Amino acid sequence: MTAIADTAPASTATTRVTQATIDSRVKLFNRVCAGVLIAFALIWLVPIAWTIDTALKPNAETTNTTWAIHHPTLASFTSLFSQGDIWNWYAASFITSALTAVCTVLTASLAAFSLSRMRFRFRYLVFWFVLIGIMIPQQVLIVPQFKEFGGLHLLNTYWAVVLPQIPTAIAVFIFKQFFDGLPRDLDEAARVDGAGFLRTYWRIVMPLSRPVVSAVAIFTFVWSWNNLLWPLLVLSNPKLMTIPVGLATVQGSYGIRYADTMASAILGALPLVIIFLFFQRRIVEGIAGTGLKG
Amino acid sequence: MNDHLDAHVSRRSLFRGVLAGVGVAGLAGCSSPIAAGIANTPLSPGTVDYWNLFGGGDGVRMQQMEDAYRRNHPGTPLQAVTLAWGNPYYTKLSLATVGAKPPNVAVSHLTRMKTLVEADLLQELRPDDLARHGMTPDKFNQRAWQAGLVNGKAYAIPLDTHPLVLFYNTKICKEAGLLDSAGNLKPISGQQAFLDALTRVQKVTGKYGATHGINADTASPWRVFQTFYAQLGGQVLGANGTQVLLDDAKAKQVLSYLRTLTVEKKLMPSSIDYQGAIALFASGASGFHINGEWEITTFQTAKMPFSMTLVPNVFGGPYAVQADSHTLVLPKQPDQDRAKLDRSLEFISSMLGESMTWAQGGHVPAWQPVATSEAYRKLTPQSNYAAAANAAVYDPPGWYSGSGSDFEILMSSAIGAVEAGQFSVDAAIAQIRAKLSPLAGAPSPV
Amino acid sequence: MTTTTAGPQAASRRPDATAATPRRVPDQRGHGRQASLFLAPFMILYLLFIIGPTIYMVVMSFFDTSLVKSGLGGFAGFGNYAEALSSSDFWSSMWHTVWFTILTTPPLVVLAFVFALLADRVRRGRWFFRLAFFLPYILPSAVVALIWVWLYTPALGLLTKIVTTLGFAEPNWLGSPNLAMWSLAITTVWWTLGFNFVLYLAGLQDIPRELYEAASMDGAGPVQQISRITVPMLGRTTTLVVVLQVIASLKVFDQMYIMTSGGPNYSTRSLLEYVYDIGFTDFRTGYAAAASTLFFILVLAVSAVWIFLTRRQEQQGA
Repeated sequence: MTAIADTAPASTATTRVTQATIDSRVKLFNRVCAGVLIAFALIWLVPIAWTIDTALKPNAETTNTTWAIHHPTLASFTSLFSQGDIWNWYAASFITSALTAVCTVLTASLAAFSLSRMRFRFRYLVFWFVLIGIMIPQQVLIVPQFKEFGGLHLLNTYWAVVLPQIPTAIAVFIFKQFFDGLPRDLDEAARVDGAGFLRTYWRIVMPLSRPVVSAVAIFTFVWSWNNLLWPLLVLSNPKLMTIPVGLATVQGSYGIRYADTMASAILGALPLVIIFLFFQRRIVEGIAGTGLKG
Repeated sequence: MNDHLDAHVSRRSLFRGVLAGVGVAGLAGCSSPIAAGIANTPLSPGTVDYWNLFGGGDGVRMQQMEDAYRRNHPGTPLQAVTLAWGNPYYTKLSLATVGAKPPNVAVSHLTRMKTLVEADLLQELRPDDLARHGMTPDKFNQRAWQAGLVNGKAYAIPLDTHPLVLFYNTKICKEAGLLDSAGNLKPISGQQAFLDALTRVQKVTGKYGATHGINADTASPWRVFQTFYAQLGGQVLGANGTQVLLDDAKAKQVLSYLRTLTVEKKLMPSSIDYQGAIALFASGASGFHINGEWEITTFQTAKMPFSMTLVPNVFGGPYAVQADSHTLVLPKQPDQDRAKLDRSLEFISSMLGESMTWAQGGHVPAWQPVATSEAYRKLTPQSNYAAAANAAVYDPPGWYSGSGSDFEILMSSAIGAVEAGQFSVDAAIAQIRAKLSPLAGAPSPV
Repeated sequence: MTTTTAGPQAASRRPDATAATPRRVPDQRGHGRQASLFLAPFMILYLLFIIGPTIYMVVMSFFDTSLVKSGLGGFAGFGNYAEALSSSDFWSSMWHTVWFTILTTPPLVVLAFVFALLADRVRRGRWFFRLAFFLPYILPSAVVALIWVWLYTPALGLLTKIVTTLGFAEPNWLGSPNLAMWSLAITTVWWTLGFNFVLYLAGLQDIPRELYEAASMDGAGPVQQISRITVPMLGRTTTLVVVLQVIASLKVFDQMYIMTSGGPNYSTRSLLEYVYDIGFTDFRTGYAAAASTLFFILVLAVSAVWIFLTRRQEQQGA
């Protein structure tokens, strides 16, 4: 990515030398582009800014639809933390998302490793069988999966959320593509030295695959955190709910509580925003490289 | 190689971090929701988990009743959860019970409770258990109690009866000469009498005689229709919802009358939603308003001169009025023991004891010690329509029927379309038949 | 590490090209047993929770299965399918889903393309645009819904206020059957545009700069450059964006469920919400399975169109 970014100024430099007249037109055009884009970007940020603005007002003040805050306060946040199930929701979201991410990375990379590095009968068959999974949207399976988890007596446990999210066919596909692109010399040398497949996988292939491991892990975590429909069905007790399900289900107290509502929205989004700010480049590159979509 | 080493270490520390995080969370939450989520242990033993669907004024009063319970039972924590009214609530309640983590006590409409019983989601309430907490059948409104029995067994404790009532603006009705010397509405009975009353009120207001929600209102048109249709002795469904018993002649009579009031004589606005109907009455643009008694809080807050009474007997048969009851039920527990049962029943009996608070919100108490008390009799206008509890007509039984159900929605949309002038009477009856027959014909899922 | 994305992409054209002919394999007998151990964790979960339920769904769709009873219930033959295909509720929710897709896909594709095009011309502060457009995408749907319900609140909401300040009548954003779907579409465009934006931005960076230089030598201005080079070169990306967008829009549930509950008067109930309602509110899981199967076929059809289009583009490209 950095290589591409570097070429941009260099190429414009050549343009500048060769064609001065066009250059000024291009420059003006680029300025206009920048202006329009900044305007849109600011529009895009308005809802988020308004959310923060509202959350910092006292509840009574939210009925004035202005940006001015006369009595800024964190009362909405403190009252959320002191009452309600928000800590339980956080715990449920963290546990289910972390477990899903770790298990998805492990199972998918192990399967992809065998498909990429081992020779066995039915390898193509297995590969195509996994590819079928990409075509099955999880959402159409809610009815049979619910009956299944009812039969397993696992409804209203975190396992009901985690288990069906682990076998992600697209993750296997992404890992296999990446492993196929890695040079084989290193791991074959290790195998000649007597290292088993497990050792090769864990000591050589996985360390080389850091970018794809982190991309899959981050994405799985974010999807799992944001998943609504399935956890909504299997986590029906408010104490066990994840953040999105809790926010969507449990009604707050009565009266005008817009500040509290916006504070809960901020708290629900905060962990993901932090992850995003930390891993912005990884996430964006992950999408660009794979076209992942939830 | 250095690179690999780094990767290895960071991966390992990442896994450690995750494991440690999960572990700490697990430790922190021994016998907590987290333990329940991971190890499927019971949730918060020793507390009363209570789910309800009350918003608005009902929600405020329910919180007062919960607070009273907390004051009187400091040793038993109460955790109350409010979920969105209607289908979303019943979906959640059913899924939680199927999923073996139901609340200890839940609110259910009486008309939704039977489906829950048939789905095997509710616990039978045995007479000796109830008697232990002072709840014997004779202490309840008999109509509500009997309506709540399934095959002679009790599954639900009725808290109230909430009938459709007639709100009237006392100032407007006085000007229209409809009040007696004591300032109460003179009894109205018969089609012509009700029509005349509305006409006289309309002359005073200059706009409308009465209002009720029509546009996008999924319940009010059905409630009004059912009240009049039941006064004619009509039934819509039979055999537990598997038969359509709609009497075309009677339905036609009622729908034509509603059409006269709205489309033809414009005594009622024909294109108005629930909130709009309330606003017109509150602002004095209409002298009557037909709605559930729970809206009393809205008009009290509006500080307008109003009172409430029974919806008139327009069609002259034995008096009947559409109603439902809020009941308290015990969802089937995976691990019910005597102590848990007693805690739940104690909570229910405590709620019944607070019936006076509940009655202030307009509901007719089912608990006779309060319903027959002097204090309730003095509570006006709430006690004006207490007789409605004994003439209550509940929605017909059926897995797709009951308050907020598909049945009410499809009936309301057809009836509302007649009142809005979009449908002829015959077209509405045809649509009702067309929509009901697949539901009646479908195999019951319970 | 700069080649991270280039590597797998190059390999993606023929996934098995390199793996098919291993050069030195110490173990000539194949690795069946080890392979099955490596595959087992994934395969067991995959069979149990994806393939199994898919088959179970199809089987269940031929029975009157109930949510609250164990077992499959009575055999219904094609009764559930006949009921779904003749049910006006099924078709109206199908139409709502399609209508939502029609309302959201064009702006999500066109706006993302335009924004990416503009961003590609801006040299500094690209992180800011990425933040502004992509940040909403990572928010949970429940959070997005809370924010937008507040923006749409009658009388008090910011959007309501802006519209009335401009001198228009107050729109009943979520309460009017005609407007509710538009309001949900606006929310969705705001929420998910960032994803397409990033895809387009990546596609733009893959276009060799020399092409633009050559064009500008020939005297082509910025607009001609866009229409002659950028748009044709982004054909593959556009196909990908459109298909992913259509599939995502068909699966819409969250926005409706939280913001309108499918109302007012069922005017925004999507197909997935219909399945939810009949399966989990009415307990009719057999019928819900039939509706799900029909929905599944629809998604498969869209995916098939994508495969067909990609194949054709590859053939034309080669």
